[in-house]
Amino acid sequence: MGSPCEVLCEGLDKAQSRPLLEIATREAWRIEDKFSRYLGDNVTARINEADGKPVSVDAETAQLLDFANTLYELSDGLFDITSGILRKAWRFDGSDKVPQQSEIDVLLENVGWNKVEWANSKIHMPAGMEIDLGGIGKEYAVDRAAELLRNLDATPCLINFGGDLAVTAAPKLRESWRVGIESPSGAAERQIDLQSGAIATSGDTRRFLLRDGVRYGHVLNPQTGWPVEEAPRSVTVAADTCTQAGIISILAVLRGDGAESFLQQQDEQSWIVR
Amino acid sequence: MRKLDKRDEQAISTALATATCALLGTSIPAAVQADEGEGWDFNTSVLYYGEDENRVQDLSISAIGLRTFVDDRILSLGITLDSLTGATPSGAIRQDVVQTFTRPSGSSPYDVAAGTLPLDDTFKDTRVALTANWQQPFGETSQFNVGGSLSKEYDYLHLGVNAKLARDFNKRNTTVSAGLAFAHDELDPVGGAPTGFSPMLDVGDISNRTGKQDKQIIDLVVGVSQVVSRNIVMQANYSYSYADGYLTDPYKILSVVDPVSGDTIARTALPGIDGPSHVYLFEHRPDERTKHSFYVQTKYFMEGKVLDASYRYMTDDWDIDSHTVDLRYRWPVGASSYLEPHLRFYTQTEAEFYTVSLADGATLPTHASADFRLGNFDAITAGLKYGWKTRNDNDMSVRLEWYAQSGSVPAAQLIGNQASRDNYPDLNAVIVQFGYRF
Repeated sequence: MGSPCEVLCEGLDKAQSRPLLEIATREAWRIEDKFSRYLGDNVTARINEADGKPVSVDAETAQLLDFANTLYELSDGLFDITSGILRKAWRFDGSDKVPQQSEIDVLLENVGWNKVEWANSKIHMPAGMEIDLGGIGKEYAVDRAAELLRNLDATPCLINFGGDLAVTAAPKLRESWRVGIESPSGAAERQIDLQSGAIATSGDTRRFLLRDGVRYGHVLNPQTGWPVEEAPRSVTVAADTCTQAGIISILAVLRGDGAESFLQQQDEQSWIVR
Repeated sequence: MRKLDKRDEQAISTALATATCALLGTSIPAAVQADEGEGWDFNTSVLYYGEDENRVQDLSISAIGLRTFVDDRILSLGITLDSLTGATPSGAIRQDVVQTFTRPSGSSPYDVAAGTLPLDDTFKDTRVALTANWQQPFGETSQFNVGGSLSKEYDYLHLGVNAKLARDFNKRNTTVSAGLAFAHDELDPVGGAPTGFSPMLDVGDISNRTGKQDKQIIDLVVGVSQVVSRNIVMQANYSYSYADGYLTDPYKILSVVDPVSGDTIARTALPGIDGPSHVYLFEHRPDERTKHSFYVQTKYFMEGKVLDASYRYMTDDWDIDSHTVDLRYRWPVGASSYLEPHLRFYTQTEAEFYTVSLADGATLPTHASADFRLGNFDAITAGLKYGWKTRNDNDMSVRLEWYAQSGSVPAAQLIGNQASRDNYPDLNAVIVQFGYRF
């Protein structure tokens, strides 16, 4: 998952918590192995290397692609799983290497979920395009692991994959799980008491480019190929599932200066740091 | 692609929830319940402490605010207001005749009826106490704690600072801690602090009074707490306390008695002036005190029930040895309330310089006090607490306790008629406390 992951189980000693930890760990690795675009020999690689030919996918992959399709529509194209190749132009290493518009234009030709045919568990993508499920995968893994633990027994657990987290039940020994949210500057840190549900945070706190005093955050607009302008530093959302929380938080960041008005329209509680 | 109007385009919660259900293949497990930690938690209480026979009554109101920051850094600020009234035994013994005393202020006299325990009834005070504490992690396995305290009453000022370092070992099953506290207290007694062993003088005569006095107290504590099993946590502490300065109680006196009859020696004031009817000397204690305490505590968790048992042994260089056993049992009643019976047993030996009276004509001892709190006594506290969760998830509790203290004066100290009188003032008190945490 490219970040520290933890599972907290209330009231269990090491031996008792082992089976729960193993289930959560196995599910995280399974999802990573199956969908990570950094690993070859998986369904993502098969789709990305199909070279213009249609690819049939299994039920789970189909559900994820259906979900990605819905998000593309709901976000008016702002959430696009084909936008990952823009990273070839942008390296967010804290330097001042901002790419040329010509480089971006070339890559943009291969971006756009609307160019993809997706129906009946079959994906047909023009050669040169790539999908990346990284924008959904981590939150999906949190929810899947939570569901497996919830089905196993009633032990209250908290599953935290790199700051995106869900709880299986309210703790017994205290009122709620206390979750600390790191702020970009370390100043406006806050804590959230979570009894049920999930929390996810998106933002450009660590990865960015700086040139001529302009900060280019790492969240890219798939329609322009440029970093989202006036993106909030951090958006935290609490929702029923980690997937919902993660999607709402990243969509808020993608709205740039419209993040606040977007969040106001949603039912979920959210916290924004500019 | 569907075209949506601006508002629909923005409000995606419902559509997203449906899509998420389809993705996860399950219904949504439980609706999210999240609250931003408001930051401050408050612990408030009102306590009434009342001794029988019109002795000390205390109404105490306190509030502690706790602000928890991320990374387990905690700021706590507390305030307590006490309103004290009533009377305390002055140290003088009962007589078969009326006794007249000069008030601590030196400005007027008061009488105590024959056969009655002499009480100083001028006890009336308001106390304000403030505390502040900051706790924060220190590396991965340690915690650091610093605090300060200040309290002020009419004749007393306390200033204190403290620091503590705790470190976890053995996968956090063992915690070792060490703490240090320093206090500087100033006394400015009504009418001035009397010189030790000086006599109680006629009204208006303050020639035996000095000004302000002070004392310094250093406390050191080292402790270890150990998770013994899933159900048992144990703790052991050693503490050392050293006090230096004015440790005498400026309002306590001793009766000077006839070495044969044991009755207090009568005196007469100057003509036309009110003054004491008998001879009384102000008490005089050592100006240093060193205490050592050993404390062990065990908490035993049994499916929601908690047994909390502790024992303390204290010994000091005034020759006071004390033993305290404290037992609490927390008993859940239903899902959101509990009952907690409490029993405490206490016993102490008297201070080496404790004496019920001073014999007239004998050489004065180096130090002497007839303060019943330095005597030989036993005490029992028995109480019951009921706590429950309110509808908005706050904690409320009511505690009712009885305190009974009874002591005795060693037979060897009793002279003549004293043997037939009640010389140790027993004490009964009731404690009612109402607590609310939000």
